Amino acid sequence: MKLMHTKLPEFIKKMKEAAIKGKVPKDIEIKGLENLTSAKMQSLRTGRIEHAVSEIAARDNVEKLEINVIPRVPETMHTVIVKGLDKEGKCLSAILEVVNILHPTEEAYLLDCDDVDDRRPKIGLH
Amino acid sequence: MSILKYKLIPQSKDEKIGITVPLNIAFVNLADIESCNISAREAVKHIAASIDGPVGINVIDMDCVTTTSDGIMTEGTVVLMAAGDRGKINPDFGILEMEEIPYSEELIREEPHLKQWEMYPGKRLFRGPNPKNKLIPVHNVVITGRAGNNNSATEMMNIVTMEEILLPILGQLEIMRDGKLVVGNTGEVISVGIGMTIAEKFGRIFPTRQYKAGDTAHGCGEYAKTLKRNIPIIAADKAIIARQTIKALQFGMIPGKDIGCSPLVLSIAKAMGFKIDLDNITDRAYAELASVGITKEWLREERIPLTAEEVIAQADTLVPGINNPRKLKASEITLLKEIEI
Repeated sequence: MKLMHTKLPEFIKKMKEAAIKGKVPKDIEIKGLENLTSAKMQSLRTGRIEHAVSEIAARDNVEKLEINVIPRVPETMHTVIVKGLDKEGKCLSAILEVVNILHPTEEAYLLDCDDVDDRRPKIGLH
Repeated sequence: MSILKYKLIPQSKDEKIGITVPLNIAFVNLADIESCNISAREAVKHIAASIDGPVGINVIDMDCVTTTSDGIMTEGTVVLMAAGDRGKINPDFGILEMEEIPYSEELIREEPHLKQWEMYPGKRLFRGPNPKNKLIPVHNVVITGRAGNNNSATEMMNIVTMEEILLPILGQLEIMRDGKLVVGNTGEVISVGIGMTIAEKFGRIFPTRQYKAGDTAHGCGEYAKTLKRNIPIIAADKAIIARQTIKALQFGMIPGKDIGCSPLVLSIAKAMGFKIDLDNITDRAYAELASVGITKEWLREERIPLTAEEVIAQADTLVPGINNPRKLKASEITLLKEIEI
């Protein structure tokens, strides 16, 4: 089981390495993970994303790369923890609430691109 | 080859109507789709393909019935909603059908506002979707790219610019009939009123009977009036809203018990002297109503009742809601479009 998930910093490092692996190293910008501090990334897809990065990076007319990580299902459900802290930062009381967030889907990130190879499995599959 | 007709409100920052329309909005009559011998799903794909930008698309069956968020029954309903962007519709999240609600005596017992169905014999009822048919867990929404079409096609948004517009069902039906509209900003009164829902299975906003008449879904006191305050709205002319509400009141619907206790419903019921179930309205609903000037004391004051004709004639002042209103004909804000199928 230890290989089932990849640490977040390792995931980011892997993508950067995949972008510079080819004959011409390419810059890569990773967007959408900025708010995460502690997360485990699905290993099965991590390898495939590394492969996709190296494949795009190998194309001669590609100058630089960008990764956008967005919610696959464009509504995410979040618990909101409202905390009251004392002078020392100890939580004295808290209220749990919920907020559901709507997001744009992938089309919003690909408005200028017609060459899209959708390699995602159906929703619910790995 | 056949021609599919639809109506379009183009995305704009239109000074003429004084509101921002954050995405293209298309309305298509199911009867026009059927005359082209295609399905509603095929039709919305054709419409999306004809628009080079974000679009919400509503398929409307004028021969069925639905209920407003106040629980007022009306003829004409959305049967399918879609969202498109730059010609595409997302295959997983871009199209959703509304669920037909079959008549049963048990249903009428659970949802007494549906007694109004007697006024529309033989008409099929649609409100929101069946949750089993959608992949998005909570909202009754379809999304493609920047375009979001939410609350079963009564609230559309551009999720990138984050601008939104409210499209109450009676206004949509006026658009289909080339009738009369009022456009402006939603304001505090309607912001409160939207929360005063009724219990419905497969409702436009809620899939279960989570909030009953007399209560508020918002439940946030004076904050409720701010939630939708500044959002543009395209609504039916207030005389149309008053006429439809009076029809339900005259049929015997009691605000706060059978139908919702929004400021709009309460104001009309109060003006005409109809019974309001004041004891069934919850404290938290009263708190939100009081924040826009509808107090228990005001509701209890004795007044000389107005007739239906008087209320309809004075609807622009008697029916509260909508800031900076402009009265327009639907044809002034819609374009009639035709596409070859």
